Amino acid sequence: MKQILNILLFAPLAALMFVVDIQVPGEGQPPSFQLVSEAQAIAGVRRRSFRRGVVIGSAASASSAQASTAAPTQQQAAPAQPQPAPTQPGALPIGTVVSTLPAGCAPMTIGNVEYQHCGVDYYRSAFQGNNLVYVTSQP
Amino acid sequence: MNALSFRMATALFVLVALALAASGPVAAAQSAAVDPAATRILERMTEYLGGLKSFSVNTQLTIEDVTDRDHRIDLDVSAQVTIDRPNRLRSERRGDITEQTFVYDGKSLALFNPGENVYATEPAPATIEGLLDYARDSLGLIVPVADLVYHNAYELLMQDVNYATVIGKTVIEGVTCDHLLFSRPGVDFQVWVADGDKALPCKYVVTDTGQPGWVSITTVMSDWDVTPDVSDAVFRFVPPEGAKRIPFMRPGASTPSSP
Repeated sequence: MKQILNILLFAPLAALMFVVDIQVPGEGQPPSFQLVSEAQAIAGVRRRSFRRGVVIGSAASASSAQASTAAPTQQQAAPAQPQPAPTQPGALPIGTVVSTLPAGCAPMTIGNVEYQHCGVDYYRSAFQGNNLVYVTSQP
Repeated sequence: MNALSFRMATALFVLVALALAASGPVAAAQSAAVDPAATRILERMTEYLGGLKSFSVNTQLTIEDVTDRDHRIDLDVSAQVTIDRPNRLRSERRGDITEQTFVYDGKSLALFNPGENVYATEPAPATIEGLLDYARDSLGLIVPVADLVYHNAYELLMQDVNYATVIGKTVIEGVTCDHLLFSRPGVDFQVWVADGDKALPCKYVVTDTGQPGWVSITTVMSDWDVTPDVSDAVFRFVPPEGAKRIPFMRPGASTPSSP
C-alpha cells in the first residue's frame, strides 16, 4: 500500500506520457514547458528510488517538493503552509491535507458546504492538482 | 616571474591544443551517432500529428514499479483522449492508480472522479495551450495530453540526444511501424511510428538509464481516429446524478478555494 501511495503521487505526471509530442502551427513555446514525458515520468521513478534509500541526483529533490504539495500522504500536513491554531483541543491544524479520511466520519452540511466530521476535525473534499484530498477546515 | 609566465603560457597552449584535438573528433562522433534516418521519421510523425485538426486515440500506459519487498510489478492505466483544435479536449483515464475524466470546451474545464462521484469546474482560457498552462500553473493540474499539443515538440524531444538509430520494422496492434531509439544522458526513449502516409505513433517507451534497474514506462497507442466525433456533447460536462461539486486547492493555498 505504501508503494501504491508513492505512485499516486506521480500518477498524474506519468499519465501524461502516453504520446510523443505534436507540433502545432504557431509561434514560440510556453515558457515553462518541460519535456513532460521523459522528465517528469523519470523524476517520478527517481523519487520512488529515493524512498527506497537509493542515492539520487538533484532532479529528485525538485520532484519530491512537487510531490509533497501534489499529494501529501495520510496525516501529513502540507508543508510550507500557514497553519492557524486548532479550533478545538486535539484537533488538527486548519489546512491539514490528507489523502484518506480517518475512520468514523460522518457527512455534515454546514452553510451549504459539505464536511466530513471526524472526531473533532472537519474535512472538506478538494482537488489538489489531479488528486482528491481532504482538508481540515473550520465550518 | 618570466619563467612562471612561460610555464603558464606553455601549459595553456598544451591545454588548448588538447582541447582542440579532442573536440573535433568527439563532435564528429556525436553527430555521426545520430542517424538522420531516425530523426527524419520522428520529425515526420510530429509534423503529421501537428497538422491534424482533431483526433482521438486509446492509450495503454504501463508503469513498472518495485514493491517494498523488491518485487517488480506493473501498473496499468487506460486512457481515451479526444482533441479538437484549437479549444476542445476530453480525456478519460481508468486503471490501477487513477480514475478521472477531464473535459474542456473552450470556456471551462471540469475534472471528475467517477469513483467518488465528485467534480470540480473552473473558467478556463480560450485555447488548449492556454488551458494547459493555466491548469498546470494555477491549479497544479496535469492534463493528460499536454504532450500532444505543445509547440516545438520535435526540437524538445531531440534536445541533448546523442544517439539515434533505426532499429527496424515491427508490427504493433496490427500496424507496421518503424522502431526508433533515441538516447540522451540518463534517459533512453524508443518510439514506434506507423509506416506509410499516416505517421502516427504506435508505441512509446521511456527508460531511466540513470538508475540501476532501468525501470521503464511503456505506452501503446491504438485506435487512432483522425476524424473523431467532435460534436458538442463530447466536450460538455454534465455532472451525473448526485455528483458533488468540490473546490480546487490551489498550489500554495492553505484552504480550498470556493467552489
